[in-house]
Amino acid sequence: MKSTWLIMKRELGSFFVSPLAYVVLTSWLVWNGVVFWILTEFYARNAVASGASTPLSGFFGGSALFFIPLLVFVPILTMRLIAAEKQSGTIEILMTAPVSEESVIIGKYAAALVMWCVLWLPTVIYAWIMSQYGSVDWGAVASSYFGIFCLGAYFMAVGLLMSVLAPTQITAAVLSFVALGVLFAMGIGEFVLDGIAREVCAYVSMWGHMQSFSKGVVDTRYLVFDLSVATLAIGLSVGVLKARSHG
Amino acid sequence: MIQVEALTRRYGSRLAVNNVSFAVESGEIVGFLGPNGAGKTTTLRMLTGYLAPTSGTIRIDGIDALADSIRARQRLGYMPEGVPLYREMRVYEYLRHRGSLKGVVRVAEAVDRSLELAGVADVRTRIVGQLSKGYRQRVGLAEALIADPPILILDEPTSGLDPNQVRQFRQLVASFRGKKAVLLSTHILSEVEAVCDRVFIIRDGEKVADLAPGDSKTSLEETFAELTTSKGDAS
Repeated sequence: MKSTWLIMKRELGSFFVSPLAYVVLTSWLVWNGVVFWILTEFYARNAVASGASTPLSGFFGGSALFFIPLLVFVPILTMRLIAAEKQSGTIEILMTAPVSEESVIIGKYAAALVMWCVLWLPTVIYAWIMSQYGSVDWGAVASSYFGIFCLGAYFMAVGLLMSVLAPTQITAAVLSFVALGVLFAMGIGEFVLDGIAREVCAYVSMWGHMQSFSKGVVDTRYLVFDLSVATLAIGLSVGVLKARSHG
Repeated sequence: MIQVEALTRRYGSRLAVNNVSFAVESGEIVGFLGPNGAGKTTTLRMLTGYLAPTSGTIRIDGIDALADSIRARQRLGYMPEGVPLYREMRVYEYLRHRGSLKGVVRVAEAVDRSLELAGVADVRTRIVGQLSKGYRQRVGLAEALIADPPILILDEPTSGLDPNQVRQFRQLVASFRGKKAVLLSTHILSEVEAVCDRVFIIRDGEKVADLAPGDSKTSLEETFAELTTSKGDAS
């Protein structure tokens, strides 16, 4: 438990002293500022066409503008986790310290989750801005952030697994991008396919996931999915890290 | 302190370490010699739990290192070849992190003590990545000493050090005689002659000699050359 905490702390420390952290956070906020501006402009000009959705529900996953940057930013956040240790050789001091593979993986994963939260924290200001000019459904905002946290729990676990598998950070980033891209594209299948395939696609759809949460609907099917994928990816990461010494 | 029986390691079809057995007693400083690629690093990595052996047994301070790896690792200080370190940390931060990870109770004291021992107290607030190679090497040594382990495993510890630093390092290692079991790999013969009580020579993954430097009539250099080149130098 203590080693998990120490590993998390070190990971966060090394991330937040690197210029990468600030480049990522700044460009993330620039992107989201532009998206938020476009959405408010759109809803201001098309009050009738927008129906029940609001700029905030649009911002939290109601549009592709939510997912496209994530496919890029998530791999950048997670690529370092284990791959950087392999690349610099520090994996040797990490794995010869008296710590278990489980505490290494969980420590790294917890650090990734904290980074994810730090990424989203400044966006609370958009909800505040909206509340100054109109009414905001704070319940829907809360469920949006809960949905984002759950989505992050699953994205970060997938990114972590890719970082354990890949020999270098850049390979890890590419693998995570492809994995998340495929999962994202599967959601589109909901509108293209029929029958059971359509059901499966609807179930894994990130889009459906966030649309439901951004309207204030906490759908447990999506929670079960997020939790299952996260658990599976973390379990596999531990397994891959254990297998490393036999390679 | 270290007991190794019939240790074997394969990488695919290549046999890197073949049926190696040896023991290092407490208080003893043992050199581990061999040409490049002979299997020194692979052997040390198996002792420290970084690599799993294909077969064989390892006991560290009486603990079965394969069955109870974490407990065995608590007894070890290890300085890997090339001395990988977290370069973005400050020296004392790094040592404090590693000390806590190794379960040291009074970390601040342990950091000060190991900084002194390794002779890096003057750079304690510097960033590891900005230090010269010789200093980084000694930070690695301070890290290996942080939990005051009864066993030290050092992989090519003096590569990159200048002659004065090498001398200091040898004095430090010699000061562990009678206190810790030290296993150090090297291909510098004078190092072995200067500090080691005993030496193992490994060649193509097989142990070919176990001797005390002063034992034989011929010099260590001749013995080494004879043992490691006699079959035609393939390594």
